[in-house]
Amino acid sequence: MTSMIVRAPLHWLAAQLPTVLWLTTMWVLLWGDLAIGTIIAGAVVASLCYAAARLPVIPVRLRFRPLRVLRLASAIGLDLLTSSVRVAFHVLWRPRQVRGAIVEVPMRTDSDFLLAMTSSALSLVTGSVVIELNRSEGVVYVHGLPIESERAVARLRRQARTTEELFAHAFGTSEDIAKFEHEAEGTDRKEER
Amino acid sequence: MMATIADWAAVGCLLVGALLSFAAGVGLIRFPDLLSRMHTAAKPQVLGLLLILVGIGIRLAPEPRVGVLVLIALFQILTVPVASHIAARAAYRTGRIRRDLISVDELQAELDSAEAAAQPDPGPGRN
Repeated sequence: MTSMIVRAPLHWLAAQLPTVLWLTTMWVLLWGDLAIGTIIAGAVVASLCYAAARLPVIPVRLRFRPLRVLRLASAIGLDLLTSSVRVAFHVLWRPRQVRGAIVEVPMRTDSDFLLAMTSSALSLVTGSVVIELNRSEGVVYVHGLPIESERAVARLRRQARTTEELFAHAFGTSEDIAKFEHEAEGTDRKEER
Repeated sequence: MMATIADWAAVGCLLVGALLSFAAGVGLIRFPDLLSRMHTAAKPQVLGLLLILVGIGIRLAPEPRVGVLVLIALFQILTVPVASHIAARAAYRTGRIRRDLISVDELQAELDSAEAAAQPDPGPGRN
């Protein structure tokens, strides 16, 4: 991550505003009432915490596409449901014979944020826990649970890539998406060979 | 009428959530190795807790304290994947996994070649 160069106080203030707003929201939620006093106290505490901790300002390069996010959320919700039921089933039915596999999944995005989001979401979707992330080459290693055959390996890889695609389209900047499409074409061709 | 429907929905959520949490707990004991245990910790456990929170939320609905439930759900979703990732990674790196339970391991091949490439430098090559 690049270190932040503070150009002007105003710029710095604008950059820290979202964090302070979020901390204030959390404070109000924890108190559980929307009185003016609570909000002011929250804003004060949040700014003090922010100033005391000297949190770095991280330039967030993300876009938010509501429809795509909705699609992503429903896909992940559905996946969480099926994978929970599946894991619960394996708990009850011969848990000692379940075999897994560690699968290499090359990622096509190059954005830190998208990679982080995708890899943590992968733990929630069907049969996978991310074990290792190779940032320089953009490869994640995923442990899939009920995997016996090559076909299941391919399915896991396909699913991880679908998750990545959903994230890229939901949160990526247009630059990210262009890069993603470009990379996707390249890897698809590689797979065909 | 509406209240009855909401109550039944809450009961359903609480029951299914409790069942999933129970399955996650049993899984921690019955699964043979850490990697598969991480699956139960990451999936049925999260969904179980979410459902329980939804159930409580339906009962509490007009109360402003529902916000706390939302925060719990949010932080659960944010932290559990990271925790299971770290535990799985540490287990893998220290060799505490059951090889006989893994049918394909593409990470081992990658680590081996990385180590061969960085021969004079001992240890696991890179991060």
